[in-house]
Amino acid sequence: MKVDKTLVASVALHVLVIGWGLLTFSSKAYEVMPEDSVPVDVISDDQLAKVAAGMKSGNKENPKPLVEKIAEAKPVEDAVGKITEKAPVVTDTSPPPQPKPVEKPVEKKPDPPKPVAEQKPKEEPKPIEKKPEPSVDPIAEALKKDEKKPPPKPEAKAAPPPQPVKPKERPYDQSKIAALLDKRDPSREAVAGEALNSNAALGLAKGKATDNSATWGALFQSQVERCWKKPYGGIEAQNPEAAFAIRLKRDGTLEAMPVPEGTPATPYLRVYQESALRAIIEWQPYNLPAAYFDEWKYFAPVFTERKT
Amino acid sequence: MTDKDRLREMPFHLSRRQIISGMASAAMLTGGPVRNAFGQAAPKRVPITEGDVAPLPIAIPNFVAGTPADAEVGVGVAQVITNNLKRSGLFAPIDQAAYIEKITNIDAAPQFQSWKAINAQALVSGRMTKQGDGRLKAEFRLWDVATAQQLTGQQYFTSPEYWRRIAHIISDQIYERLTGEKGYFDSRVVFVDETGPKERRIKRLALMDQDGFNVRYLTRGSDLVLTPRFSPSTQEITYMEFGQGDPRVYLLNIETGQREIVGNFPGMSFSPRFSPDGQRVIMSLQQGGNSNLFVMDLRSKSTTRLTDTPAIDTSPSYAPDGTRLCFESDRGGKPQIYVMPATGGPAQRISFGDGSYSTPVWSPRGDYIAFTKQGSGQFSIGIMKPDGSGERILTSGFHNEGPTYAPNGRVLMFFRDPGGNGGPSLFTVDISGRNEQRVPTPGFASDPAWSPLLS
Repeated sequence: MKVDKTLVASVALHVLVIGWGLLTFSSKAYEVMPEDSVPVDVISDDQLAKVAAGMKSGNKENPKPLVEKIAEAKPVEDAVGKITEKAPVVTDTSPPPQPKPVEKPVEKKPDPPKPVAEQKPKEEPKPIEKKPEPSVDPIAEALKKDEKKPPPKPEAKAAPPPQPVKPKERPYDQSKIAALLDKRDPSREAVAGEALNSNAALGLAKGKATDNSATWGALFQSQVERCWKKPYGGIEAQNPEAAFAIRLKRDGTLEAMPVPEGTPATPYLRVYQESALRAIIEWQPYNLPAAYFDEWKYFAPVFTERKT
Repeated sequence: MTDKDRLREMPFHLSRRQIISGMASAAMLTGGPVRNAFGQAAPKRVPITEGDVAPLPIAIPNFVAGTPADAEVGVGVAQVITNNLKRSGLFAPIDQAAYIEKITNIDAAPQFQSWKAINAQALVSGRMTKQGDGRLKAEFRLWDVATAQQLTGQQYFTSPEYWRRIAHIISDQIYERLTGEKGYFDSRVVFVDETGPKERRIKRLALMDQDGFNVRYLTRGSDLVLTPRFSPSTQEITYMEFGQGDPRVYLLNIETGQREIVGNFPGMSFSPRFSPDGQRVIMSLQQGGNSNLFVMDLRSKSTTRLTDTPAIDTSPSYAPDGTRLCFESDRGGKPQIYVMPATGGPAQRISFGDGSYSTPVWSPRGDYIAFTKQGSGQFSIGIMKPDGSGERILTSGFHNEGPTYAPNGRVLMFFRDPGGNGGPSLFTVDISGRNEQRVPTPGFASDPAWSPLLS
């Protein structure tokens, strides 16, 4: 049979080229780094509420974290972003504001008694866990922003934290916990909720509602801000500030007229102070968590343009 | 004690202090819970930073009629006040139909609950009473609904025909008490009223209240008039008129109607303006191809030349303290804004943006200079600080020009010509750029100038 030479040559050349191409352009398959699997447990809203609700019999002074072990927490929130720490990190106790470095090593150990502050550098000076903080559970922790028992110094700390947090928090009011938790240290995960823990937490007063404003400070702020009609300062606002000392009753109403701090130096400052006073009076009764009544029964809201 | 001993002691003291402070800070760092045990020395501070810069809801019921005949003026005064406050953009007057309580006696405290129920944060109550001698008595009280306190209250006597001015004065009091700024409602605006078809516009000087009422014509319209400006004493206006021959600067006394020429200068004179003390008029005089700034003392009639450049220097405006002035000059090519000492001297350019800048006006508060900016087919009204920084544009459009400040420096009025067969109209805008409002005028209007407060 006659075989066309050109055909043979063509086929051979084709094979050569294609073979070369195959060899040259093939690459190693990407290797997938073996990832630690993170146990994920999906819970329903109900369960979440229950977790946050806590039990009345809860022991307020609860140094031990709630659930130690069950560890591998269920990251309660569904859409939480990185939950990279597997290790249940129990955050508890007031973390010294500094200790970022300290946290890291600790974080890996699921050691409850070890005070671990969130690693998240930002705003977390919150001692989220202060001993007295009942909630061991991450949600509660996450939900309430420090401000609680105050690390005294945290005066300053607490101030900024709510600050930066505020802008982020407010818009997410009523929205996913995920958004909230995203900012919190993932490490908080551990200590899974409902199960086990004989040390019940008192939980949040509004536990069932799972309100997303974290601490009572943020709650108060978001409520009074809705009512505050700031006077128009024009474009050269002079960094005004108006502070009051207020006493609230358990039902969230004012016990007496708020006491302004200092007398305003200019007419504009007086108007600024009056607008703040009006806002405080108008919004009562305030809806604040009863669990922290001792803290918010007497505090000083500071209305200011200074965004530190 | 020898020096050595002292020396030895010093570091010792210091270091002890250091130790103590170190310990204190360490204690603070770690001793959170410990400190708490001592109880709260001062209440915890919670910062509140976001509020709503929204108009303040205010209720202004009709003023009570002291005698049955005063009902109409009571309604009128309430309406003028409501209109003023609403147009300022800082107040939201609540519709009278929503009011629950009917106030009949302003000397008794209102039922604050009923005003709270309609979300009023402030309440104005007032009474008009015609007196036996023919005068009109006006009383008002401003209440803070939340704290149930009276914030301010006044009473005025006036001739019945000036009831609108009383309403403006009361509006100013309310504005000042609730914003901390001086008001601007008791003022007038002089402008050029334009009527007739576009090719044969009749331009007359007109004077009106800042809310558009009480319009009065000051010239007959036989000659072209331009750039009227108020004297700080408010009874005189200076303006330009194209009479027989070259345009001249005139001084017109509003009350007597008397008119005089401000000096006799060969050549054309433009854009006259008063100095803050009302004693001098500054204007630009054209000589040859360029124009320079001249100041004339109104009493001695002596003139001083301030600029001497082969350029067009015009549109001067004094700073409220009288030490400096700003003006427009094209000495650098395009018209730009310059600032110069009031007695003359080197002028410093302050406008550097894209476009040409003209008609600078110094705010009565001294904090900003407003101007007209022209560039890329748009005319914009903007403000900048006297050093040239902080430039911001408040409004842009086909043809916006000629800003003038309200007496409190918070509001600007300018005119806008939409082009085509229409004519220009007056507009006001807040210096933040918000709340642009049209000012009602009988016909077309241009070249507004705001008077100082009348009271």
